[in-house]
Amino acid sequence: MADRNPFLPVSSSDGFNPTGTQVNRRKLIKQLLTIFVGLLAVGLFAALLIGNNGSDNAHVNENEHGSLASSTSKKPESLRPVSRGPAAGVSEKSNRPFANVDGNLPWNNSMLSWQRTAFHFQPEKNWMNDPNGPLFYKGWYHFFYQYNPNAAVWGDIVWGHAVSKDLIHWLHLPLAMVADQWYDKNGVWTGSATILPDGKVVMLYTGSTAEAVQVQNLAYPADHSDPLLVHWVKYHGNPVLVPPPGIDEKDFRDPTTAWLTSEGKWRITIGSKINKTGIALVYDTKDFINYEQLDGVLHAVPGTGMWECVDFFPVSKTEENGLDTSVNGPGVKHVVKVSLDDDRHDYYAVGTYHEKNSTWIPDQHEIDVGIGIRYDYGIYYAAKTFYDQNKNRRVLWGWIGESDSEAADKQKGWASVQSIPRTILFDKKTGTHLVQWPVEEIDSLRLNSNEFNQVTIQAGSVVPLDIGPATQLDIIAKFEIDKEALEKTTGSNLTFSCSTSGGAAERGALGPFGLLVLADESLSEQTPVYFHIAKGSDGNLKTFFCNDQSRSSEASEVNKQIYGSIIPVLKGENLSLRILVDHSIIESFAQGGRTVITSRVYPTKAIYGAAKVFLFNNATDASVTASLKIWQMNSAFIRPYPNDKKS
Amino acid sequence: MKNTISLALLQLAFSFTFLPVSQNLALELQGPGANLIETTCKGTPFYNLCVSTLRSDPRSSSADLLGLAHIVADKLKAKTTATLGQITGLLKGAKDPKLRMALRDCFDYYNAIIKYDIPVTIDAVAKGNPKFGVQGATDAANEADACERRFKNQPKFPISSSNKVVHDLSAVVASIVQLLL
Repeated sequence: MADRNPFLPVSSSDGFNPTGTQVNRRKLIKQLLTIFVGLLAVGLFAALLIGNNGSDNAHVNENEHGSLASSTSKKPESLRPVSRGPAAGVSEKSNRPFANVDGNLPWNNSMLSWQRTAFHFQPEKNWMNDPNGPLFYKGWYHFFYQYNPNAAVWGDIVWGHAVSKDLIHWLHLPLAMVADQWYDKNGVWTGSATILPDGKVVMLYTGSTAEAVQVQNLAYPADHSDPLLVHWVKYHGNPVLVPPPGIDEKDFRDPTTAWLTSEGKWRITIGSKINKTGIALVYDTKDFINYEQLDGVLHAVPGTGMWECVDFFPVSKTEENGLDTSVNGPGVKHVVKVSLDDDRHDYYAVGTYHEKNSTWIPDQHEIDVGIGIRYDYGIYYAAKTFYDQNKNRRVLWGWIGESDSEAADKQKGWASVQSIPRTILFDKKTGTHLVQWPVEEIDSLRLNSNEFNQVTIQAGSVVPLDIGPATQLDIIAKFEIDKEALEKTTGSNLTFSCSTSGGAAERGALGPFGLLVLADESLSEQTPVYFHIAKGSDGNLKTFFCNDQSRSSEASEVNKQIYGSIIPVLKGENLSLRILVDHSIIESFAQGGRTVITSRVYPTKAIYGAAKVFLFNNATDASVTASLKIWQMNSAFIRPYPNDKKS
Repeated sequence: MKNTISLALLQLAFSFTFLPVSQNLALELQGPGANLIETTCKGTPFYNLCVSTLRSDPRSSSADLLGLAHIVADKLKAKTTATLGQITGLLKGAKDPKLRMALRDCFDYYNAIIKYDIPVTIDAVAKGNPKFGVQGATDAANEADACERRFKNQPKFPISSSNKVVHDLSAVVASIVQLLL
């Protein structure tokens, strides 16, 4: 029979009796039709009534990489995994439930002003983000940065500027560039410097035009004889590059430092995306004014999204020095680095550059750029390197944002710092990693030191280190775990990851052990930086390096995640650690900088004289021996340039 | 048979008179803009709130993703401003010092949302650097959470439902802006 009711489900369960008489069939159909249509009407009616009461999933979308997008309050904070082993050492009992009983706003001026760093670069106030155009010129290191002159949040972006003789003691100069042209009206965004063979400097940067189109602009010093490079001129014919066909006008930014090709042209790369594939576009130029886009891309990785702040540079496979960006040849590998818009992390990969067709191929596709190794497993973004011809090294800058609330940033009047500049070298031992290390000039800040030799930390114990003040420190430590325990412990199939673990309170057979920094006497606030060794059922050892913020502060509105990663540890290597503690920032380097974690910490109690340092070993089966040296660190006295050169 | 069919058709006609009224439902929406609203809202944690917010604004039917984000951000701003007004009013009449402290903290959080989070989000989205928009909108949701926490030990949370809307709308904005990355 023809279906006169196409909206009814075509069902086989209509009890259609193929052998029944016509009359019976009609009666049955009539009944069923009535029932079905009636139900449909009722259903629509009911849905109309119920519809507006959402039974939605009530939680803020969690970015799986645990960036700022995660809402800390949704985790039941008093829940901690119950681990085996006696409660001792860094006990789970010391984890008090958060949020002050009265629900008071925890930030008072004393706590907030303590947060300012003593030797990390930051402007006197307001918001900062990406490092821009770092270079060495006529005896001065120059640093430019994305800056909001009006508020402690992102916006009204211009270029801040500072100079230093040693990458540590910075002097603030006037703003280098402001948004005074139609082609950068909506933002003077990130860019890079290129030093020409005759020593002159050119700067390429992204402007967000009055129509919010992303274009590339050329700028250069107004006076090349001024070592301070205070004044800058924008090329009258800007923009020099506009988004090419096929590229969205909002996906075209952050030009790199240029490198010379064998044809004597300059080459740059600019990150972008096509759908969800991150790409790096390539352009050649002879004069930085006229450009020729090359066919294809330098590289592309599907699924990684927009590539911001692309960086491309050579590293020596054998030498312990940096290489000028134009260097190529045998004994040289090239690194591609990207900042992924999607997860706010910086990734790099080592590979080979093919100049002829201007492509780059990673050594290992499984750890291709964007899906493999990160510069830093904490809060670290928009990093950029430059070749320091003064000391023949490649130096890395990275932006460290805040992980507290914007209300707190507003209250304290500033947001963000830069990492201590790091030298970058190819890690010959692993062949896959780069090693980063704070520039040697930071050693000049070291004051008195305390040394501890061969301190044995029994399983489940905490050892206080009496060193005096503990908010500005340089810690160098070596750890050795009891070899017998390493061998005897039975392995398991359980997979471990810093971020999903219970932090330093979760005890394993061979870890965690390390240091507690910015901890108060009672350990009600503490930030563990530690190793965790996991033994597989095949007997193989895996070492993890983590930074646990879960108990770093009694304040609720701060990030409480556990950062970290697996770290390759080669046979015969001891576990080594360097930690720079500078008020609300901690930079930790494991295995000579093979894996790095930067975190922002905002204690309410473990501040000023109440902050302390401890060694800890929360493993169940093994004792650990540690040797360390801890220096008090002086301030870098970052301040405005004394003879303020205004226009 | 004729009677049956007439009866059926009558009942269907009856049912269909309700369809235009049920536009708020998570059913097939009509029109080209409706598809974008539907797919966009599906990616947010509060589908119905997202759909009803967009639908209540005539601009939504012809808006692109950027426009949709803007619409929800505007609604968030309105709701936050209204709730801030509620807080101010409550503060005037509140005598209990603990209640006053909680309300003052919420005032600060809401101020941060209006003065910073929302403008930054709209600005970042308009200028093509959406990640700062995600950050701003997420922070707004976190500020609303913080306000709720201040009332954990209070007998009542007087702005509970408004605060939830502010939180949820912020989360919706964050999700939509995430799509622009």
